Amino acid sequence: MSLAVGEGRFVSLVGPSGSGKSSLLRAIIGLQQPLAGSIETDLARSELGILFQDDTLLPWKTARDNVALGLTFNGMERRKALAEAEAWLERLDLAGFGNRFPRHLSGGQRKRVALAQVLALEPKLILMDEPFASLDAIVGARVVRDVVSLVERHGISVLLVTHDLEEALTLSDEVYLMSQGPRARITQHYPVPIPRPRDPVRTRTHPAFAPLYERLWADLSREVDHRAEAA
Amino acid sequence: MRLLDPRYAWARQLGAFTLLLALWEGLGRADLLNPMYAPSPSQIGAALVELFADGRIWPHLEATFAAALGGLAIGIAVGVVLGVAAALVQPIAELLEPVMTVLNAVPRVILAPLFVIWLGVGLASKVALSFILVAVLMFFTVFTGISQVDRRLIERIVTLGGGRWALVRHVYLPSVAAWVLGNLKIAVGFAFTGACVGEFVAATRGLGYLLSFAQSTYNAALMFALILLILFVVLAIFGAAGRLEKYLLRWN
Repeated sequence: MSLAVGEGRFVSLVGPSGSGKSSLLRAIIGLQQPLAGSIETDLARSELGILFQDDTLLPWKTARDNVALGLTFNGMERRKALAEAEAWLERLDLAGFGNRFPRHLSGGQRKRVALAQVLALEPKLILMDEPFASLDAIVGARVVRDVVSLVERHGISVLLVTHDLEEALTLSDEVYLMSQGPRARITQHYPVPIPRPRDPVRTRTHPAFAPLYERLWADLSREVDHRAEAA
Repeated sequence: MRLLDPRYAWARQLGAFTLLLALWEGLGRADLLNPMYAPSPSQIGAALVELFADGRIWPHLEATFAAALGGLAIGIAVGVVLGVAAALVQPIAELLEPVMTVLNAVPRVILAPLFVIWLGVGLASKVALSFILVAVLMFFTVFTGISQVDRRLIERIVTLGGGRWALVRHVYLPSVAAWVLGNLKIAVGFAFTGACVGEFVAATRGLGYLLSFAQSTYNAALMFALILLILFVVLAIFGAAGRLEKYLLRWN
């Protein structure tokens, strides 16, 4: 399968569960080997970042130390890394929370710290594996809004994996549909003609939204039914 | 004030305890309890005061502390190192796990007489008993702990560009420290058990030796006083271990 994410583009990959969306992201960033075939990207490993569904912060490190971690791995001096980390926390509305341990942060704040951790490394492409699924609706909407404005501002490309069609359409410039596994492949590609900058909440009322949502929903349902009949 | 207010549970407990002591004392003074078996609280108190008053308790306290803390320190160090080695190197696990499993299954204090033969009646045999009690506990704490390290933390470090050393430093070491601290109180208890049992078997000094002396002379008051003293000592160390744990695990 082939998938293009243009510079500064927000691309979603939707598909039924079990189609291997997460495995694909994990293979791209090198966390697991593909069962067959190989992965080719035109980006170096260090130009990729990944956000998982669970906020996997080190529980014994403060928010600031967590954000600074990746920077020190890449050779930045510790004091400079901490200052840089603080700046990223501020950009994500977490000024004053740098000394807190993850345990003492809310779910939304932990998600922001995880985001700061990834953004601090200034990746060209961020892979996102349903990162907003664990957040409640209101907190989730706020984090999503901040993610949208940050990637728009920094020109970062995003490849988001989700089974939430609404989330995919509100956030993305393009949506790819994956068929049900095993041997899943990409079956459809939909451009999302809603202009940027976007407000994730208002995007839903854009005239292009409803028809596209229905089409995507119909295609996805057919994909699931198809598989059920074949089985 | 309501009588069963949960905030005053401590007052009710204290009251009940005082009542029990008073009853005990009263029965003793009325000659209804045989002081050979159950000396009254005042007699036990007097025995305790006497131990400190003539200063003869200090060398014994020192001996027990030296054995317990020595065994604790060496036991933690060796247990952690072996646990880490077994968790990371398969052949080491194959060699150590059966031995440790057997040592874990038997009451390890049965080794006390053997240590006396090997190491003599001095300090070394007590340290050894303390050590073996603590080391086996720490081995399993670390060995099983490392295999249960959160995979997601490892993946996070790897995807942020961290290498093998970063994993050890930021994931494995803090995890190991957390498990060791989580079991520190149990280890302290084990260390004092080892020291006292070792002294009980064969020694010339120590709280365990005094206990054995009290037993052979049928001195129940001294025995109760020693049991109380050991209780206080271990509780004090528990408190210190608890504070250390709370400080070092403040992220939790």
